[in-house]
Amino acid sequence: MKVLVCVKQTFDTEAKIELKDGKISDAGINLIINPYDEVAVEGGIQLKEKGIAKEVVVVSAGSDKAMDAIRTALAMGADRGILVKQDTAADEYARACALAEVIKGESPDIVLAGHVAADDGSSQVPTRIAEILGFPHVNVITAVEIAGGKATCTSEADGGTQVTEVSLPAVISSQVSWNEPRYPSMKGIMAAKKKPVSTVDAAAVANKVAIVSVALPPSKQAGIKIEDEPAVVGAKLADWMLNTVKVEVK
Amino acid sequence: MSANFAYQNTRDFEFILQEWLPTEQIFNYPRFAAYYSKDEVKTFLAPILKMCKEVIEPTNTDGEKNPVRFENGQVKTPPSFGPLFAKLQGEGWGTSNIDESEDAMVMPHILHAMVWEMFNAANPTFGPYIILTSGAAGLIQSFGSRRLKDMFLPKLMDGTWSGTMCLTEPSAGSDVGDILSRAYPTETPEIFKIKGQKIFITGGDNDFTENIIHLYLARVEGARPGTAGISLFVVPKYWVNDDGSFSGNDVQTTGVEHKLGQAGSVTAALSFGENDACRGWLLGVNPLENEGKGQGMAMMFQMMNMARMETGHLALSCIANAFYNARDYCRERIQGRLLTDPKSGRVPIMKHEDIKRTLLMGKAHVEVMRAMLYKTYFAFDVRAHDPDPARREKANDLIEVTTPLCKAYPSDEGWWLCGEAIQAYGGYGYCEEYPVAQIARDIKIYSIWEGTNYIQALDLVGRKMTMKKGSVFTAFIENIAEFCSAPRNEGQFTREFANLEKALTAYRQMQKILLKLASNQQMNLVAVYARRILTATAQLYGAYLILDQACLAQKRLGELPADHYDRAFYQGKVEAARYYLLNVVPNVWLIAELLASEDTSVVDIPSESFNY
Repeated sequence: MKVLVCVKQTFDTEAKIELKDGKISDAGINLIINPYDEVAVEGGIQLKEKGIAKEVVVVSAGSDKAMDAIRTALAMGADRGILVKQDTAADEYARACALAEVIKGESPDIVLAGHVAADDGSSQVPTRIAEILGFPHVNVITAVEIAGGKATCTSEADGGTQVTEVSLPAVISSQVSWNEPRYPSMKGIMAAKKKPVSTVDAAAVANKVAIVSVALPPSKQAGIKIEDEPAVVGAKLADWMLNTVKVEVK
Repeated sequence: MSANFAYQNTRDFEFILQEWLPTEQIFNYPRFAAYYSKDEVKTFLAPILKMCKEVIEPTNTDGEKNPVRFENGQVKTPPSFGPLFAKLQGEGWGTSNIDESEDAMVMPHILHAMVWEMFNAANPTFGPYIILTSGAAGLIQSFGSRRLKDMFLPKLMDGTWSGTMCLTEPSAGSDVGDILSRAYPTETPEIFKIKGQKIFITGGDNDFTENIIHLYLARVEGARPGTAGISLFVVPKYWVNDDGSFSGNDVQTTGVEHKLGQAGSVTAALSFGENDACRGWLLGVNPLENEGKGQGMAMMFQMMNMARMETGHLALSCIANAFYNARDYCRERIQGRLLTDPKSGRVPIMKHEDIKRTLLMGKAHVEVMRAMLYKTYFAFDVRAHDPDPARREKANDLIEVTTPLCKAYPSDEGWWLCGEAIQAYGGYGYCEEYPVAQIARDIKIYSIWEGTNYIQALDLVGRKMTMKKGSVFTAFIENIAEFCSAPRNEGQFTREFANLEKALTAYRQMQKILLKLASNQQMNLVAVYARRILTATAQLYGAYLILDQACLAQKRLGELPADHYDRAFYQGKVEAARYYLLNVVPNVWLIAELLASEDTSVVDIPSESFNY
């Protein structure tokens, strides 16, 4: 069984976002594997360790920098990588088309990915890939069992869980609670350098969405501090809520 | 509260590897060329920050909450230490990096040391368990027979067993030549019966490895007295039979020390051969077949020199982490108004002049020590892998001269620097709820471990300054003179270079006085000044290194646009160098003046006068 994991390279979640010339600047930013995709990589490696999968292939679409994300996944334990060279301004549609094209050629039994990217949060690519390839898709999974050509997935549902059975091949996108991704070991990092990584150009597909502008959220306003006896503080706070910030009481 | 791991990035490491030192030379050695280039070092460094925060830092807290105990004859270590030892050793971060096998996947020493600077900052009390295991394995790798290598190395490298070095005894510490441990020949030429007591053995016992392999100094009965007659033995806690099974080896732990700091680190007292049933493997020649001369001290120096480097390196980790914690606190803590604008609102204390000075003083020292240590680690890689014998010899010369500096300077300065980090916090710094208190407790040992800093100073003035008839040390100092006289841009660091030149002149004067004292048989005065001479040497050398870095940083600043994100790093490098050259380096000529005064008060005062 072949598992293919889609990974996106994103900003470090602790990075300070800055705009330059109306665009998000990546200067000096530490780039990482999207943490949700990292869970998918770990899931793929665990399937291999359990003897269910024979090969874990990791695929990333983006600039040459995305090679670092692939190497990190290989250091964790994936077997092979594919870098799909694509303009970083590609939208979710163009990205899904590019990845689907590669996936078609690889014929995996399972396609894994994180259910959302930590940077743009659009949650579209895995679903679009499934649609393009005509595969079933299960989202936000927290557990998966593979047997008899089927995947039985436990997913988060509104206030509970849902168990879904799909036939393979399928696209399965993970919730972070599926597993705890491992840190690359030193031996893993060294071995990753010698694992095969191929590079292909992305299928030429035009974006369907144009970003008009980006803006940072307004900076937080300073709060107020009321110091006094509890009863007086309560009265002053109520007064501040009613008359200063004008909280509506219904 | 235990220390937070407060490293935010690996920028200074990248500067050292990718901009300052010519590390492409190292990454191109056949040993490393098939793997990563110097431009790819972030592959190693980036995951370490997160790993330190999430995996290692909690073990530091564990070490404080569950310190080492000795109960019913058994040592209990903090519960998280065993799993961490197994993880780091098993994943290849530790001892296996010394593996000299042809197919071993290892990283350059300089890069490995950077990884360990962060590991040690995240938990300084854990590191020695692995450092000493690496030292023990290194000795077996260098001097052991094939049989011993096969018996011990795989399990020392994969985390199944650990290692120690056993020198100190109740009646012999710095004077190791007076040890009482004895070894007696058996019917098997390589195997000796061992008898003796050892104390202060870091990692001397634990409850997480199957076996502990002690590298043990003892005198074969009949060998010469003093250090010349000492031999080195491999003494396992449990005897390893040919089939890999264990038998008892009469090694007992008699207690653990209760220390100022290092709560998670075992400092054991060990008894060997109490029941005449302890055996050890001899490394090197039998002194009884070599005119009574043992090879133990020479061999042990391989491990000890590395341990000395690691001790200075541990001190650096602690100082850096103390000041990174202080920086974060001073950035958050709002108190007082600016002297220059008293009507403004309250400000983060980092904006107050003395706090800012304290933080810059810490930063300058950290960057000087880092430059000093990693330049030496660079030389380790050259010495081990360069095909050119002349380059290897030059690298070895640098290692020889700088080892006492790398050990003693960070560990001497670390104690008061941590005091200054506490000072930056104000009252909270003195409280255990804040992290720098633990760092201060942990750091003190480093000036004592692995040869006290007085021993280091005597090594510098007695051995290193006179190596190869003084030519090595002369070249070391001449290198600084050449840096001073090299062409540079008009007006670049004028005052800083002037101070470096003044310090160099004063230092050369000091060398002349040292020579005079030595030729007048006044070695007692040399000894009185030895530690201060070491400090002056380190400050002169450190000043050269940080100024060299600052020149490079200044050049980068000239190339970068005004709004470039990386300017703050380079600006910081320049200001750290300026601070060091203008505020610390004057100590070099002060020490030179002190030596010139030839004050004999220390020699003259009678012991009885200390009664009053």
